[in-house]
Amino acid sequence: MDLLTMSGIHKAFSGVPVLRGVDLHVARGEVHALLGENGAGKSTLMNILTGSYTADAGTVAFDGADLTGASIKAVEKAGIAFVHQELNLFNDLLAYENIFLGQEETGPLFSLNKRSMIAKARELFERLGVDIDPTALVADLKQSQKQLLEISRALFFDAKLLILDEPTTALNTAEVEHLFKIVRSLRDQGTSFIFISHKMPEVFELCDTYTVLRNGTFVAQGRIADTTPREVTGMMVGATISERGAWEPRETGECVLTLDHLCGPGFSDISMEVRRGQVIGLTGLMGCGTTELMQCLFGLTHPTGGTATAFGRRLAGGSIHEAMKAGIAMLPSDRKENSVVPDMSLLENMYLSEHVLSARRFVINRGAEQERFERYRKLLSIKANSSGDSVLSLSGGNQQKVFMARWLATEAELLLFDNPTQGIDVGAKAEIYHLILDLARQGKTVIINTLEIPELREVADVCYVLYEGRIVKRLEHDEIDEQTVMLYSTNSVADDRAAQTPAQTHE
Amino acid sequence: MNDKKATSTTGLASALGLVKKYSFVLVFLAILIVYAVANGGLTLNAGMNVLRHSAVIGTIAIGMGIVCLTGEIDLSVGSMLALVAGFSVVVFNMTDSIPLTLLFALLFGAACGLLNGVLVGVVQMPAFIVTLATMLIYRSVAQYACQHLPGELIGNGSSVYRMSNELGSYDALYTFGNARVAGVPIVGIVMVLMVVAFVFICTSTKFGKKIYAVGSNAKAAHLAGISVPLMKTLVFTIAGALTGLAAFLWVAMNASADPATTGNSYEMYAIASVVLGGISMSGGRGRMVGVLFGALSYDVIDKIIIALKMDSLIQDTIKGVILIVVIMIQVAGPQLKEFFASRRKR
Repeated sequence: MDLLTMSGIHKAFSGVPVLRGVDLHVARGEVHALLGENGAGKSTLMNILTGSYTADAGTVAFDGADLTGASIKAVEKAGIAFVHQELNLFNDLLAYENIFLGQEETGPLFSLNKRSMIAKARELFERLGVDIDPTALVADLKQSQKQLLEISRALFFDAKLLILDEPTTALNTAEVEHLFKIVRSLRDQGTSFIFISHKMPEVFELCDTYTVLRNGTFVAQGRIADTTPREVTGMMVGATISERGAWEPRETGECVLTLDHLCGPGFSDISMEVRRGQVIGLTGLMGCGTTELMQCLFGLTHPTGGTATAFGRRLAGGSIHEAMKAGIAMLPSDRKENSVVPDMSLLENMYLSEHVLSARRFVINRGAEQERFERYRKLLSIKANSSGDSVLSLSGGNQQKVFMARWLATEAELLLFDNPTQGIDVGAKAEIYHLILDLARQGKTVIINTLEIPELREVADVCYVLYEGRIVKRLEHDEIDEQTVMLYSTNSVADDRAAQTPAQTHE
Repeated sequence: MNDKKATSTTGLASALGLVKKYSFVLVFLAILIVYAVANGGLTLNAGMNVLRHSAVIGTIAIGMGIVCLTGEIDLSVGSMLALVAGFSVVVFNMTDSIPLTLLFALLFGAACGLLNGVLVGVVQMPAFIVTLATMLIYRSVAQYACQHLPGELIGNGSSVYRMSNELGSYDALYTFGNARVAGVPIVGIVMVLMVVAFVFICTSTKFGKKIYAVGSNAKAAHLAGISVPLMKTLVFTIAGALTGLAAFLWVAMNASADPATTGNSYEMYAIASVVLGGISMSGGRGRMVGVLFGALSYDVIDKIIIALKMDSLIQDTIKGVILIVVIMIQVAGPQLKEFFASRRKR
């Protein structure tokens, strides 16, 4: 018997249909993968399920009750919990306070029964095998612990169905394993899950059944055991995508960036040489120092030792302006927070950085800006109606292209891409890889930081694996594969490393 | 008005969009109609008086507008007006020179704004606290200096800075503040010119776009290479210079400045004008031209109260109520629409 049945769900936003007759069935005690590209309607469907939106048509039945058009409160009470990608935790409260928020146990005179609540939280964490101190401040927890805390909170109130929206984005392999172990044991106890993810290996490792959406319509559902990642990806994008990457060996030019024993906040003793036209991959576990290294090169932080020389100029560090003038650009991670200027149009979002360099010419030349926009729109194939549209009207992939244009417009020669495909759907990812390779062919130098290893295979000529702020391995393109990179990222090859230490990867 | 006519042929949606975009014009027209009824008709002279009386607030509100666009606030402008106006009178009495007085007002205002800007932008203190403190400081300095400066410098007034009418330039300055060109008050022209200049700056210059970017998403602006501390410092400094200009207008119009009362609550009126003009207090959204209409609207409200022969002490009540109602319509309107739309479906 199905625990959840959503059928014939329709929803339109200001006349634009987002969902057109979508069905979703989730059985008791299974992990159900909800698959689809960004914009396929997954979030809208989930928001209808949780009561954040009201469906225009269609019914929702859960656990024998009709939940059509129910309020958020009623849905919660029925036993559905949504673990958001952006976690809904209060960083300034303690772990147990987050669990009991709004449902605190009180004694006489509204005083809080702290001891009892802490004990219950501890008992819950132990039962789930989660290693969190109930009295820890949430702000001090690691990302993975926050994720688990959020899940624990949902389970504490007897959720029968948990929606996990890309729960592994911020987790490393070991943490993902731990999360999956907990999910599996809960599933065996009868809890159901809806699992939203873009990572196929995870879906095939964890899930029992799946539903695929495309452009707001229902495409297929079935058992994971009966399908292949290739087939599912094909259903998501509508056509089978070619497996072969576009990478091929390229001629590289002179040395454009030299790091000599560079140290800074979060990384140390980084030495490398980067040549014109190269694509360099940086990878490692969350917090291994790759992001910090990029930020330091871009002048966000001050180096504490060693030297960085770009295009023959030694960088003093600590100034974005200096880095920009030296021809360095950085596309930061977390697009929404670090790149999007929400109140501005596409055009305005695009020209901001170039205007920093050309601030002396005070007045904006609209014609020239429009021309430049058209040029980059063609070059990067940005799908947009008009340059005056709000940047928020674009999908994630197209937004990211606008920000690539923002930096290309500054005529930067060294491009630092920090997790450029974060939260971007499969089709757009492939386009971004092509763009990166095209740029390299045209003589731009690219350094890309990513946690996704397949991504490195797609674009990187050379890959540096970092562990706790130090380079542990340099891999050529042909040596990059999931297993090898993971081995070095997790520092599982201690012997190898010890043998290398004297000569510490001078390239 | 023209906006409305032009769109009557196009879709209702775009018309509604325009109304939303230029709601400050509608608010102004509504208030103007009330005034016309209360006053028994509109005369050109009355309209010109509105322009004259909103010159000072309007000029200050422009500065407040760009400060709000970066997501900050400046509570010190009222006190700053008193301080700069008072000292400008002193400078005038010392030099008998209009250009020097104007230059002093602009520079002194900019310096007062720079202090705010450095504390907010560079030291990164909350603007509310910084400008609350400088609000106290500027007013207090104005009052203290008035008591302790030699009598001839403050025009021999007891507790008021007064321009000495024996000086050669007195008539010229006073005329500047009160005369009209082709029926239009000069001070009003100055204010409108400033609005035009800042509309241009905010829509067509790189500097203006950076103001919006900082207010819209400061982190993204920083990572796009914009120096957020510099932008904030500049914006507060410009707001200070505009307050300086307003102080000069005030002195020219009144020939005196009372440190205890000049500019009282003006920070509130300026903020209200900005909000009524459709600029978001959280920054990044809004148009400078709205500030003009916001400031004019507030002055017309004064005129209505006078026309109705009501007690002038009730002015602020009415201004406050209008502010709440207008913002309520802006904020609650979409929510109500959504609510009724979902009601109809069931």
